[in-house]
Amino acid sequence: MHILLQVPQEEGQLGDLVAAIDGVLAREGVHPGVAHDVQLVTEEVVCNALDYGRIEGRQHEISVGIAIEGDLITLEFKDDCVAFNPLERPDPDLDADIADRPVGGLGVHLVRQLAEEISYAREGVHNVLRVVLRTEPPGRPA
Amino acid sequence: MNLSVQIQPANNGSQRVAIGGRLDTHSYQELDRQLAPLLASAIHSLVLDLANLEYISSAGVRSVFKARKALAARGGRLLVAHPQPQIQKVFDVVKAVPLNEIFSSMAEADAYLDAMQQKVLRGDEDE
Repeated sequence: MHILLQVPQEEGQLGDLVAAIDGVLAREGVHPGVAHDVQLVTEEVVCNALDYGRIEGRQHEISVGIAIEGDLITLEFKDDCVAFNPLERPDPDLDADIADRPVGGLGVHLVRQLAEEISYAREGVHNVLRVVLRTEPPGRPA
Repeated sequence: MNLSVQIQPANNGSQRVAIGGRLDTHSYQELDRQLAPLLASAIHSLVLDLANLEYISSAGVRSVFKARKALAARGGRLLVAHPQPQIQKVFDVVKAVPLNEIFSSMAEADAYLDAMQQKVLRGDEDE
């Protein structure tokens, strides 16, 4: 199964994009817990691309490729924003005292933790972020 | 589904807020707005009932963490009750709330708060 979704890269479009992805996953019978993680990865990646990469006054487009093969879901996010590699951001210090912990910087960390595999490439004028997730949630403690 | 926030009356300095639906980049500001007056009040504990929360992203976690931080700064605490598994997982990954402050039901959270309250009262009598 392979499908490509394209939307204008605007925060207002994120809801539509997530709903479209959710529809695809439901049709393919993907576990709702995994669908949650796919929505989460999508929101974090698209918001980051907007926050760091948007060029004022220019229309950007983002495409999301979804491929389901065996027990893996591969999401490929491609945008034409400024070069931005989210994987170069430092990990937040989650064990610092609450008074010292900054409230942000959690999105990329979440995506990395949920992903089975993740890679970034700058291909011409595009940022391409590939995120692989498992279609079955890992065994949860009873 | 959008965000729903139900604020229940404060009881003994403890405030319960039920959050349902989706807490994400579109809705976190609404939660911030509704929690602001509570955080500015004299409550010492805020219990977030997440039984009906279906989705959370880092923007939502940030709001919860911000509230926890504001309460911690004045000796208060934020407890989380009844998160669904997908929400619990996100909380675990980013360590938004310590595990011993997440409860599987509102009853457990209430019992914990009662025990805390008793301890405070006993402490006062000892003075």
